[in-house]
Amino acid sequence: MSDDVFDEVGLVAKNLHASYGAVEVLRGLDFEVAQGKVSVILGANGAGKTTTLRAICNMCNSSGDVSLGGVDISRLGTAEIVRKGVAHVPQGRGTFPELSVTDNLLVGAYVRKDKEINDDVDRWFEIFPVLAERREQLAGSLSGGEQQMLAVSRALMSRPKLLLLDEPSLGLAPLIIEDLFTRFTNLNKETGLTMLVVEQNANLALDMADVGYVIESGEITLSGPADQLKSDPAVQEAYLGA
Amino acid sequence: MDYVLLLQRIFDALFNSAIYSSLALALVIIFRATGLLNFAQGEMATFSGYIAFVFLVGPQPRLKGGGLAGLIPGVPLSVPLAVMGAVVAGMAVGAATEKVLIRPLRNAPELSLVNVSIGLLLVINSLMAQWWGTGPRVFPALFPTGAGQNFDIFGARLRYSTIGVWALLFVVLICLIFLLKRTRIGLAFRAVSINQTNSELVGIPVGRILMYGWALAAGFGALAACISANSVLLEPSMMLRVLVYAFAAATLGGLDSPKGALVGGVIVGLSQTLIPAYVPFIGFELSVLPVLIAMTVVLLVRPAGLYGTKRIERV
Repeated sequence: MSDDVFDEVGLVAKNLHASYGAVEVLRGLDFEVAQGKVSVILGANGAGKTTTLRAICNMCNSSGDVSLGGVDISRLGTAEIVRKGVAHVPQGRGTFPELSVTDNLLVGAYVRKDKEINDDVDRWFEIFPVLAERREQLAGSLSGGEQQMLAVSRALMSRPKLLLLDEPSLGLAPLIIEDLFTRFTNLNKETGLTMLVVEQNANLALDMADVGYVIESGEITLSGPADQLKSDPAVQEAYLGA
Repeated sequence: MDYVLLLQRIFDALFNSAIYSSLALALVIIFRATGLLNFAQGEMATFSGYIAFVFLVGPQPRLKGGGLAGLIPGVPLSVPLAVMGAVVAGMAVGAATEKVLIRPLRNAPELSLVNVSIGLLLVINSLMAQWWGTGPRVFPALFPTGAGQNFDIFGARLRYSTIGVWALLFVVLICLIFLLKRTRIGLAFRAVSINQTNSELVGIPVGRILMYGWALAAGFGALAACISANSVLLEPSMMLRVLVYAFAAATLGGLDSPKGALVGGVIVGLSQTLIPAYVPFIGFELSVLPVLIAMTVVLLVRPAGLYGTKRIERV
């Protein structure tokens, strides 16, 4: 196996800036997610984690270069970026509360025109049997954990090249979080799905990730292989409660 | 009580109900797709009614657009073709309205958009008065209405036109429900009406979907105008009163439910005719009162309307 299999380009962001009005939230971030790998961005509330994901999808006032698989996507509209293979599970999960569980999955496949959409719906129902039980229920009636499962399945229904996860652990019970992260890890290992996760829950996130970044006030202050970050004293103090 | 008269009044009311239901359907479609109440819906419909009229009579001296219509082969058209032409033209006007007037304001507060739609109501109304005059025009009936063209049911007359109009509405409603529930674009309509940001995140071109929504609603409006123009006579303000009743019908049925628009139209039509007839202190001049009472009672019991979706949020 040659080395370049591991060096295939995934997502590359260079000099990413973003602002809300006069307030600059991102001050020139450089980061990447290698093809088939998982990167995690750690940061406290207000550090700019959510904005980073929104900037990738062109959902806020941003500048800088973002490319996916070597293709520049920084000038495209949000819907176009999704078509290029980016799936985003935003804060609030991005599901449609007044649509049924099944319709939420189908709408996730909106960019696809192939014949295998219904097979994929069935596959997600196999992976998350609890969703299958509630397939005709409105998504808004699901519990937090179930909604997060639906949100991830909804995002993956587009068969993306890159999955963006915005604090998937937010508001969930510890056992459910562990279960979710195990599933994320398996997804990455089994399907080679490239993932960029922003989290405050550093322990689980770094366990799953290959590469980690720490952002503070819109700037990257630390970066490196995930296992190195995990033993870094600054990270331990700030995020791991050591 | 004279039951034949009661039955006759119900049959007569059902024709008006069809008019209210069809315009209420147009309101519901826009609300479903965009979350916006379009006060100009009635005037946009009337405009399409005039287009149908121009298609029907063809080139005539001093008829605005007549010469233009004359360039289309086959004009003057038969009634069904003229109605279809008006629906298509109405859809184009609806799409253009979204693109030119509404889309540039997409980040404005919803109330501003409602105000824009009221402004549009006035502009279209004045434009029609300038182009085609304020005098009423005779518009043909879509279905036979002459003497004796009715079924006799227990001594009351149910006109063919009432049945025809309702049959047309049912066919159109079934097509609409199929579109919303069973097609990809229908799913996109529903998603966009719930959350535009999340819709973009699944790759739905939100702007284009909103434009289709406006076109579809304007098409229904055109149909509503063609249904009503025979009985109320075609004139620029013919839909103003209808719009008030259609709003009541849509609200009563649930603003996001096509089925609710139809049922709401029936309730409005019946209460408008029957209550003044049997409640002595409410005269026909006050026929709008029972409609508003019916609407208020329904909303007190079911705030989302009869068939409206309750907004749900689990915390």
